[in-house]
Amino acid sequence: MGSAPAQIPTSFGHELRACLRCRLVKTYDQFRDAGCENCPFFKMEEDHERIVEVTTPNFNGIISVMDPSRSWAARWLRIGKFAPGCYTLAVSEPLPEEMQHLCQEERVQYVLPKRM
Amino acid sequence: MPRSRDEDDELDGDYEALDLEEEEEEDEEEEEERGRGGGGSRRKRGRSNFIDDYAEEDSQEEDDDDEDYGSSRGGKGAASKRKKPSASIFLDREAHQVDDEDEEEEDEAEDDFIVDNGTDLPDERGDRRYERRFLPRDENDEDVEDLERRIQERFSSRHHEEYDEEATEVEQQALLPSVRDPKLWMVKCAIGREREVAVCLMQKFIDRGADLQIRSVVALDHLKNFIYVEADKEAHVKEAIKGMRNIYANQKILLVPIREMTDVLSVESKAIDLSRDTWVRMKIGTYKGDLAKVVDVDNVRQRVTVKLIPRIDLQALASKLDGREVSKKKAFVPPPRFMNIDEARELHIRVERRRDHMTGDYFENIGGMLFKDGFHYKQVSLKSITVQNVTPTFDELEKFNKPSENGEGDFGGLSTLFANRKKGHFMKGDAVIVIKGDLKNLKGWVEKVDEENVLIRSEVKGLPDPLAVNERELCKYFEPGNHVKVVSGTHEGATGMVVKVDQHVLIILSDTTKEHVRVFADHVVESSEVTTGVTKIGDYELHDLVLLDNLSFGVIIRLENEAFQVLKGVPDRPEVALVKLREIKCKLEKKINVQDRYKNVIAVKDDVRVIEGPSKGKQGPVKHIYKGVLFIYDRHHLEHAGFICAKCTSCIVVGGSRSGANRNGGDSLSRYGNFKAPAPVPSSPGRFQRGRGGGYNNSGGRHGGGRGRGDDSLLGTTVKIRLGPFKGYRGPVVEVKGNSVRVELEMKIVTVDRGAISDNVATTPFRDTSRYSMGSETPMHPSRTPLHPYMTPMRDSGATPIHDGMRTPMRDRAWNPYTPMSPPRDNWEDGNPGSWGTSPQYQPGSPPSRAYEAPTPGSGWASTPGGSYSDAGTPRDHGSAYANAPSPYLPSTPGQPMTPSSASYLPGTPGGQPMTPGTGLDVMSPVIGGDAEAWFMPDILVDIHKAGEDTDVGVIRDVSDGTCKVSLGSSGEGDTIMALPSELEIIPPRKSDRVKIVGGQYRGSTGKLIGIDGSDGIVKIDDNLDVKILDLALLAKFVQP
Repeated sequence: MGSAPAQIPTSFGHELRACLRCRLVKTYDQFRDAGCENCPFFKMEEDHERIVEVTTPNFNGIISVMDPSRSWAARWLRIGKFAPGCYTLAVSEPLPEEMQHLCQEERVQYVLPKRM
Repeated sequence: MPRSRDEDDELDGDYEALDLEEEEEEDEEEEEERGRGGGGSRRKRGRSNFIDDYAEEDSQEEDDDDEDYGSSRGGKGAASKRKKPSASIFLDREAHQVDDEDEEEEDEAEDDFIVDNGTDLPDERGDRRYERRFLPRDENDEDVEDLERRIQERFSSRHHEEYDEEATEVEQQALLPSVRDPKLWMVKCAIGREREVAVCLMQKFIDRGADLQIRSVVALDHLKNFIYVEADKEAHVKEAIKGMRNIYANQKILLVPIREMTDVLSVESKAIDLSRDTWVRMKIGTYKGDLAKVVDVDNVRQRVTVKLIPRIDLQALASKLDGREVSKKKAFVPPPRFMNIDEARELHIRVERRRDHMTGDYFENIGGMLFKDGFHYKQVSLKSITVQNVTPTFDELEKFNKPSENGEGDFGGLSTLFANRKKGHFMKGDAVIVIKGDLKNLKGWVEKVDEENVLIRSEVKGLPDPLAVNERELCKYFEPGNHVKVVSGTHEGATGMVVKVDQHVLIILSDTTKEHVRVFADHVVESSEVTTGVTKIGDYELHDLVLLDNLSFGVIIRLENEAFQVLKGVPDRPEVALVKLREIKCKLEKKINVQDRYKNVIAVKDDVRVIEGPSKGKQGPVKHIYKGVLFIYDRHHLEHAGFICAKCTSCIVVGGSRSGANRNGGDSLSRYGNFKAPAPVPSSPGRFQRGRGGGYNNSGGRHGGGRGRGDDSLLGTTVKIRLGPFKGYRGPVVEVKGNSVRVELEMKIVTVDRGAISDNVATTPFRDTSRYSMGSETPMHPSRTPLHPYMTPMRDSGATPIHDGMRTPMRDRAWNPYTPMSPPRDNWEDGNPGSWGTSPQYQPGSPPSRAYEAPTPGSGWASTPGGSYSDAGTPRDHGSAYANAPSPYLPSTPGQPMTPSSASYLPGTPGGQPMTPGTGLDVMSPVIGGDAEAWFMPDILVDIHKAGEDTDVGVIRDVSDGTCKVSLGSSGEGDTIMALPSELEIIPPRKSDRVKIVGGQYRGSTGKLIGIDGSDGIVKIDDNLDVKILDLALLAKFVQP
């Protein structure tokens, strides 16, 4: 337990959104106020329109990761290096290409969601 | 603003410094050296910048030393704590202890420890840089720049490596769970609270820290009532879920097998593939289950705009918009109906016409709802619609396209239908039309099918052949007149001719039902196969009487695939049942007789009329009789294949007792007429009357019967029935059983009590009766078989009297050889009273009649070789010749002596002569009568002379109410028209033609014309193979239907 955990969702309904890169799950308001803890370069707290671009309400399942470094599930889902918090198991949409380019510029790794 | 920028720079610097620290630490081989190096570098920086900072660090180090002693840890522990001097929170210390334990347990955890260590540094450095900003020293800036460069280089290489590793599939395989990984436990929770429980456990972990030793909690959307908890031990799970509100702690905690752990985390994420013009169905709300078409998709807000047929109650809407309270709350869903703007305005509903900014289309806004062209355009959530497996039915599509949409819209709407096509939909040679793209409306035929591409060839010049078109852009194409078969859909298996093509919908005239059927063009293939009306399934044929499983019975009126339509034996109301082959027990073929309302006997093939009940007034032949129920076939009855079901007591036989009474009157008149003729011999009139009396016994029906053992004294004798329904009838006894005897009444054999008969009947009437009964047959082909048994007893009974009888009685019969010809002619007269009325007028014509009879002897001679009679028949023929012409008889005397019985005729010559005048009258009358009746016979060939039209040939199919239904063509294969008798003329048959007798005694019989002699025809009758000489005017060419 070395890093501060991400914000915990304050509701469980349709307000929840998932970050398209790291799959962190929070409410729209939380993204608007604090941005994404794992993806600070998106600067969601400054550009509210970008929240719609890089997050999605279309996700499947929730996993609360208490200890990312020691959780097998977190490693399997490739969220082992992220902050403790609530994540989704899968998102439906890929990150927009414009945002993918931004990840490359920031030298941040992005993995396309698996399509069944 | 400048401050925020500085902060950003600091953040970046911190981030890069993080990597720098990690890199340095990785280079160290020994922990002690690492600790010293770190401390040394930090001290140097402190000394060079701030003395105060250095002092703070010293104090923190002292604190760490104290903790070190307290925990009794080695130098390693002290070294790690020195790295984080700012850490003073108890919680952090606890975490560090946990980290220390992890180092001892696993090597892999050590890397994570380093990472965690790195994340703590940014805070410390952040503080320093913040203070530095207030000191304007160039030396500090230089140091920062150097650090940035070095960090950036290392960072880029590190991330590059990381990207490669995680992108490979092999890497994922390496992550498969093993026995050393934490385990997954399945815990039961309140349904619908899975996400909430997962988040609450996360919050609990944050609040309690190290005490909670679970690693993660998984809540799956598709698994209700359960969550998964990742932990090393079950005890850890129990400790974590203790006190949670929505978790059933008392339930058993299940361990997930290691090989199934990956399945738990594998979830399908289907991307919703929605596009414009897709057909969807509503899932919730007023429009639940309704078909809708997508007109716009908003992926951001996860909403779509769909087009629906409105379900709106205008009355309720008007009340609502006016602010009036709805008097009663209706719980019904309004039926789908297109919005009528004018109707809405009449109800004083405000309608605003607005333009959509994005699409530019105009919509009518009513109470916040958008309408256009009668449709309701509604925005709904993606979760409110169903996209998978939406196949609109034909009716739904038809309704959706009811308002006048442009053709393009129709194509678009139907295009999604084609998406559901099966493979191999198009075959080489199919005629197709392009419905999408640049080649729209191009017609051609399929040359080859390659996956989703279809190579087609067209007649349009200038285009490359063949053209490659996607199969979704093609549709089958048919022309009216094509003969097709339906291969899928509701009418699968039906065949017919295309009568109309309406874009992609065909209207087919079914071969079997002759009805119009609507099908999609895609469900049809061209085929020359014709589904003929089957007339037989298994052992049963059309129109059979059958017994069903529930012991009910009925007549098969229609055959369908694997099923029968049966008109059940329920009088007074038609009841049709659809039964399977296995539901039929057997076929009923028993021949029984029943009695009608007036106690007349009804048998199969009798004509009856219904006089009460729903079928009152119907008339036709009886096809089946069972349990007092008649199945009557009335060709004018359009339902149930023309069959009517009625009780026997609700019917009367046509031509029954009343007709008999009329006939009796006719006979009386006939007798008076005959009295006008010369009758020198008193005994002759008496015999003649006896012969006519035989006509009464013609009661229809034909049944054969065998001869059984019986009293020889009665067997073969002619008796008269004195009591019972057959009172007054005469006939020979064919069987004797105890107290009952079976008497042959013309074409019928009845059983009566022995006491009901008297046996003092003269033999002369019997002979006449026999001849008459044979002539009275009105055969149909199906009745031929039952007649054969009757033929045998007839011959036997006829022969027996001859052989057993006295010679004297035979001589008496011989003296009246021509009498047998008289009864049939009398019958004609009886049947046509009009002809009798003209009889006196013919008296002056007696001499011509006599001349007409001159050829008769020759006919008699000619018929002898072709006759099929037994030997007993020969004397009758000779007798006939003798009676008609005494003079010609003399020249033929040499032939007569060859027959022993012929010698007995010589003394009787004078007796025959007095009959001539009466016979002449009879001969003339039937000719006229026959002509009068000739027009009313089906299945004969006629000439049709219509005013203003050429003469045509046709076959009469039906006669009713003075009108004839005629099928054109010499075989009746052409059209059917209606004609009046005055427009028709019977075509005389030729030798060897099949003929039908259209008048006289044998009316209705069919046979073969084996010879023509002047105006007479020699006919071999079909039913009894009898050879008759008949007037050619009474014969018509017979065309088998």
